[in-house]
Amino acid sequence: MLPLEALPLRQSPSAVVTGGRVLAVDPAAAAAGVEVGQKRSTALGLAPRLRLFERDAAREAAALEHLACWGGRFTPSVVQAPPDALLLEVDGCQRLFGSLVQLATMAVRECTTLGWSIAWAVAPTPLGARWLARAGYGGCVESLEQLAAVLAGLPCAVPGWPADTLARLEAFGVRQLGGLAGLPRAGLRRRLGGRIVDDWLRASGELPDPQAFHVFPERFAAALELPSRVEHAEALAFAGQRLLATLAGWLHARRRLIRACTLHLGHDDATTSVLDLRTGEPGADEGRLLRLLREHLGHLVLKAPVERLELLADETFPLSGESASLFGSAAAGEGRSACLERLRARLGEAAVRSPACIADHRPECATAEHDPLTEAPPDHAPVSEADAFRPLWLLPDPQPLAELAGSPHWHGSLQLLSRPERLESGWWDSGEAGAAGDVRRDYFVARNQLGQWAWIFRDARGWFLHGLFA
Amino acid sequence: MNAAPAPAALAEVLARGDVWRGDALASLPVAAIPSGYPELDAELPGGGWPRGSLVELLADRGGCGEMSLLLPALARLNGEGGWLALVAPPWRPHAPAWTAAGLKPERLVVVRPGNQFAWCLEQLLCSGGFAGILAWPGAGIDARSLRRLQVAAEGRAVFAGLWRSTATAAAPSPAPLRVAFAAENGGLSVRILKRRGRPASRPLALAVPRPGRSPRVVAGPAFSIAAAGSAAAAAVA
Repeated sequence: MLPLEALPLRQSPSAVVTGGRVLAVDPAAAAAGVEVGQKRSTALGLAPRLRLFERDAAREAAALEHLACWGGRFTPSVVQAPPDALLLEVDGCQRLFGSLVQLATMAVRECTTLGWSIAWAVAPTPLGARWLARAGYGGCVESLEQLAAVLAGLPCAVPGWPADTLARLEAFGVRQLGGLAGLPRAGLRRRLGGRIVDDWLRASGELPDPQAFHVFPERFAAALELPSRVEHAEALAFAGQRLLATLAGWLHARRRLIRACTLHLGHDDATTSVLDLRTGEPGADEGRLLRLLREHLGHLVLKAPVERLELLADETFPLSGESASLFGSAAAGEGRSACLERLRARLGEAAVRSPACIADHRPECATAEHDPLTEAPPDHAPVSEADAFRPLWLLPDPQPLAELAGSPHWHGSLQLLSRPERLESGWWDSGEAGAAGDVRRDYFVARNQLGQWAWIFRDARGWFLHGLFA
Repeated sequence: MNAAPAPAALAEVLARGDVWRGDALASLPVAAIPSGYPELDAELPGGGWPRGSLVELLADRGGCGEMSLLLPALARLNGEGGWLALVAPPWRPHAPAWTAAGLKPERLVVVRPGNQFAWCLEQLLCSGGFAGILAWPGAGIDARSLRRLQVAAEGRAVFAGLWRSTATAAAPSPAPLRVAFAAENGGLSVRILKRRGRPASRPLALAVPRPGRSPRVVAGPAFSIAAAGSAAAAAVA
């Protein structure tokens, strides 16, 4: 039906003729008795109101091109098989859609929604599928054995071989393709030519049948001529849906998202008006674009009847998918710096800090803090032997301890476990605000009766708790 | 419409989401982190501190050696290039001591979340950018937040330790592993309150590193640098 449905300005009953003979008829014409292969005059005699059109190969090719783009939503391996067939390689993607039957049902339903009447079949070989579709099989064939059995029952006229070949086959007594399988191949080749035998071998899977896949264009642009002049904007929605479906297939196959596209409305007075469709964020949802289009069309007043639509994708973005790993390892997050940036933005800059060592013998000065995102850590101070005996935690400020019976108390009396370690001096920053200043302390490792290990010191003012050996 | 696609650079092609590279095989699911204490590893499911789930660390008072117990695992994570985060620690980390324990302070982040503790910890867990997170929620964390945090930690390659008081030991918790610490005879007693698998029978007594050679030695050789101040030592001895 492609020759017919690719034509614009079509009214029922209608038929397409080529070389003086009818090539395709619409249902209304078929009801009047017009058949494929009839002469132009016969057809007109049967249905006087029949409108006849010459075949338009360019339009058919354009329609097939659109359909190939649309097929991108199912599989990236799409083959245009002129004049009227489209092959989708679905072996690799059947699991994605559940099963072959579900995939085929979905494709046929969408195709029908878009206004194309199709004959379809699923088969293990491209040529086998084409022949089955042409014979109106409308089902799925899963294995080569099953395919051979089904093909054997097809009439010889299905592959579209030349008429003299068909006459010869008829003379051999071969009326169904299955008859070919029983005949000696060398003899068939000599009598009918290699093409017939090769076709049969390709269809039944005995010869490889490589296909040239459709190349999805770099930039999307699709035009559609309307079947009749449209005077009301709402009536454009159906044609728009066809274009958007093509766009959706293209986006899927090229793995892109779209944010803005323009619909050019070609008026019959050769002027063009432009409709901008723009979504808030890049997406690939056809339904969303269609709803958007309907909204725009709802309040659009056409200045002249429209006879042509063209859809251009203006802003597209690559789809940034994430690879899942084979063994389902840990889920990835936004990453460290993005997370810390967000924390810092909410909690303030002082809330996210990294410590660093500073070469200073006074414990409270030995740790510097810096911003892990924007600042490089200060120069690394060498680790001294004594650092192994420093506590992991320091109190923000030394905590004064009571002294009872000559020993310091912290949750009970503290037992001193080391000799004093004298840390003193710091004259260079004494007197500065916030600086540790000049210190003179004797540090001890001590433990209380609860088993807590503390780092305490004694200076002129008494005992202080300064750190915890956690 | 049928223009051939422009040639793309190899790097662009590899960056596409639908290209899967074979070397992704190398990233096997992450295993537990050996704690550095064989007797503890034997009791922990998976043979070490787990990743991708909340670990509740119950201790009432600091200074018993509870951080020293975690240090080998943290140093291992840190040494593999992972980042560590301390969320709301009650004290200031003393960088020289952490460095001496084998950690790189430049890959350590201290976060002070104020009153947004749960949100903050959840963000850190979800970010996937940290190998280990230790958090001190204080008293005010409810069961709902704990559940959210456990969900956030699930499936991430992060060791997430949550310090709580032993008073919460009887309360139910979504964390699959709960460990209580107590000081005992100069060492650390580790009791596994909850774990995947059969319940643990007895507490483990672990000898964690303590400053000085042994608790009984009053003066170790490492402290000889301070011997000059012996007057003060004599006063307290």
